[in-house]
Amino acid sequence: MYLSKRKISSDFVKRAAIVSTVFLIGTFFFIFVAFWSIQIVHNEKYTQLAIKNITRVIDLPAPRGMIVDRLGRVLAENKINFTLYLVRENVEKLEKAIEKASYFSGKSVADIDQIIDKYKKYSGFYRIPIKSNLPRATVIFIQSRKDEFPEFEIGMEPSRTYPLAHCAAHLLGHISEITETELNADKFGIYGFGDLVGRSGIENQYETFLRGVKGRQTVIKNNVERIQRISSEVKPEIGETVVLTLDLRLQEFIENLLANESGAVGVLDLKTGGVLALVSKPDFNPEIFSREMGQEQWQAISNDPQKPLQNKFLQGIYSPGSVFKIIMALAGLQEKIISPNSSVFCSGSQVFYDRVFHCWNPGGHGAVNFFAALQNSCNIYFYNLGMKMDIDTIASYARLMGLGKESGIDLPNEKAGLVPDSAWKMNTFNQRWFAGETISVSIGHGSLNVTPAQMLKLIATVALRGRMPKLHLLQRIEKQGKVVREFTAGFSRVPIDEKNFELLIEGLFRVVNSEGTGRAAKIDGLDICGKTGTSQIIAKENPRYKQLTKEKKFMPHSWFVSFAPRVNPRLAMVVLVENGGDAGAIAAPLAAQIYKKYFENEGLL
Amino acid sequence: MPRRWRPRSTKNILKMKDYFKYFDKFTFVLLLLLSLISIFLIYSAGYSSHETHYLKQAVWLIVSLLVFFIVFALKIDFIFRNAFTVYLALIVILVMQIVLGGTVARTKSWFRLWGIGFQFSEFVKIPLALYLAKILTQFEVIDWKAFVKLVGVIVAPVVLIILQPDMGVSFILCSFVPLVILLKKVKPAVLVISLLLVVFSGIIGWYSILRPYQRDRIISFLNPSEYKTSTGYQIIQSKIAIGSGGLSGKGYLKGSQSQYKFLPARHTDFIISLIGEEFGFINTGLLFFVFFILFYRQFKFNFKNDEEFYFIFLFNGLILFQFIINVTMAIGFFPVLGISLPFVSYGGSSLLSLFIGEAIVFRIKINNYLT
Repeated sequence: MYLSKRKISSDFVKRAAIVSTVFLIGTFFFIFVAFWSIQIVHNEKYTQLAIKNITRVIDLPAPRGMIVDRLGRVLAENKINFTLYLVRENVEKLEKAIEKASYFSGKSVADIDQIIDKYKKYSGFYRIPIKSNLPRATVIFIQSRKDEFPEFEIGMEPSRTYPLAHCAAHLLGHISEITETELNADKFGIYGFGDLVGRSGIENQYETFLRGVKGRQTVIKNNVERIQRISSEVKPEIGETVVLTLDLRLQEFIENLLANESGAVGVLDLKTGGVLALVSKPDFNPEIFSREMGQEQWQAISNDPQKPLQNKFLQGIYSPGSVFKIIMALAGLQEKIISPNSSVFCSGSQVFYDRVFHCWNPGGHGAVNFFAALQNSCNIYFYNLGMKMDIDTIASYARLMGLGKESGIDLPNEKAGLVPDSAWKMNTFNQRWFAGETISVSIGHGSLNVTPAQMLKLIATVALRGRMPKLHLLQRIEKQGKVVREFTAGFSRVPIDEKNFELLIEGLFRVVNSEGTGRAAKIDGLDICGKTGTSQIIAKENPRYKQLTKEKKFMPHSWFVSFAPRVNPRLAMVVLVENGGDAGAIAAPLAAQIYKKYFENEGLL
Repeated sequence: MPRRWRPRSTKNILKMKDYFKYFDKFTFVLLLLLSLISIFLIYSAGYSSHETHYLKQAVWLIVSLLVFFIVFALKIDFIFRNAFTVYLALIVILVMQIVLGGTVARTKSWFRLWGIGFQFSEFVKIPLALYLAKILTQFEVIDWKAFVKLVGVIVAPVVLIILQPDMGVSFILCSFVPLVILLKKVKPAVLVISLLLVVFSGIIGWYSILRPYQRDRIISFLNPSEYKTSTGYQIIQSKIAIGSGGLSGKGYLKGSQSQYKFLPARHTDFIISLIGEEFGFINTGLLFFVFFILFYRQFKFNFKNDEEFYFIFLFNGLILFQFIINVTMAIGFFPVLGISLPFVSYGGSSLLSLFIGEAIVFRIKINNYLT
């Protein structure tokens, strides 16, 4: 027998049995308690951690709302944009994949290297956007050969499109990707990485309505971030439709009219204060901002001396020239410095404060009363008026009529212009105001600066005999066909007597209809009232004036502000042609064509 | 009383009857239950990645049951008599593995035979337990001579297995040392010096034998969030799996931690976490209860020879250690050493080795009734 006989004492066996039983019970009790603690007591905590492990929330971009004109014609909408993505996880050889990506996107290998480098920290499953706005042919090519290109994915996202291209570009504005600083400042978490935001124009002004509400997708993923299935989804809500007061027929007509010019036109519906047309030339196609813009293209567009990106209607700063005589006339009448019948003799020039001031007509206008002064835009009459007034009074009237501050139109980044007065002079140059400067200001020169928007508001206020309209482009906001918000027209009263406006309007009527400076704007059957303005770039006193003004860029800007008809006016308009030359010859006939077009459209002419 | 003569064949038939009568059917059912639960769980562990480990495990279970009955039929004397030879053979195989070394998953512990992977280190447990039991009967108290002999036979395979390297199995084999000390009176001097030796060899082992990843494994359980990428990550995910299971679990094949692969080694070392997640506290508790009953029953026995007593304590003690370490590791109370859950974790060699040991225990228990 190999085995030994039993020698172990039964005492020891008993002890061993007790010890092992106690040990068993002890350890199992410990394990039981430990599992109780984890599974029952801390169940909630671990359940949350388990859920956090497998879920990921993905934002679904909301299609941006449309922008349409008053008749519902679409100015901005969305189309499907195809984006080429690279997924590193599915890449066999990175160099080859980069070469392919370069071929599909038309970007250089170095550029693609750079893009991929940016996403280094992300997991291998992250879709790296290589190129957006992929041509349809490339999309079809890749889609039909999915097996050959497992590393590429084609994404479909809504993208902004402007079907009328350049039309109304400035007022529509543009959109572009959100920056990191903006994202950090976004306290409400509305925006996410890669979102597009309205940067200018209506796109910016009504961003809160246009952006829509993002959708949310909760997906289930595994330990290597691969998506297994969609667990829940909240569909994105399309942005609201912004309906503009704009009349695209008129807008397009004016844009064609100014095709080769640089300048701005604004047309206002006097019944509501809604802008019917807002043109700034030259223009651009806002889609270039949604696309990726090359460095050269950006340089070309931003360094263009004609400033195509600037909305000249509200950002262009010009000297108002003779248009300012409207304010001088109103101020003179209201302050009772002039009466309609008192007249001044114009010999072509006059000396004020030891300096010779010229009328635009070297031959002189002879004896001119209030109406003739406006009709012929006689400088001498207004020099004399200016001499009898102080600059601060003139400035206060100018401000009353909306100068020196933003017109308040519903577009961002508007310029305020400048109404000089003695306080401004003191603050800026630390000098007192010289009376001689007032003479220049009284015909709209000197430091005076205005925007076309302010001029439109000014002439509209005149047309409405002192009721100042609120300029606006927004007619209403619609959500799924229902009106969410409607613009209510608002007018404010200017404290100038209505009879003074009537007198002024008589003068403005004569400008167009009595062989005045604006006679080129005359249309049979329509009582147009207006005022021309030619704002000099270089002073007439300059010895080389004649020679320099042959060059286009030194030619004066042409203004024409007007409204029609005289009684129950419907339309107010400002036309500004940069370096156009004589206002009567350039700006006024353009206005006539626009009136004709509008009143024919409306069946009133 | 003179024994009645019986024809030889009849005697055999009667003996078979007795075998069946005294065979510990209840415990055997518990073993079967655990092994079947195992297949069921391994299926879930491989479900999302379409792995077929469960089929292999089923085949291994059939093989293990066959071997169980073969070993069960052997005489106890024969088993103990040949234990040392088998032990030596396994030592030779381990040495050869290290020298020749086929490498599977950067360990040399796997040996492929006829297309089947054998992990020989798992088989050392049984002959070692048998031989240790024999040695324990040869001494009254553990003096220096006995100590050297006992520690020698334990350390030899432990070192070889560490070199493979398979920390889990070698650590489990080390648990024979305290068991031996508990089962026998030890000379105080031997006890003190051996304790010092353990500390000393522990320090040596820590710095010279263990590789950095193994060291990380051991300490990461103390502060798992600092080791998110390695074993710390495993502990965190295991705890999340168990904790999120709650009272009744997420349902079979529905555990997010297991099915979306956050839970590592879910068919082997962390199979308890899969149970915890998919079946909840109630069912995990029931499983623990099955284990409790199994251990309780296997520690209650009668014996004719001292070797039998020692073997049962050594073998059952070993499984109990393995069970405790595996379960406490899953909840972050013990380092992640790669120790599987007995009978439940995937692993054919382990299952076979455990069934061989159980066969011997069953045999020992039945011998008392048969005579």
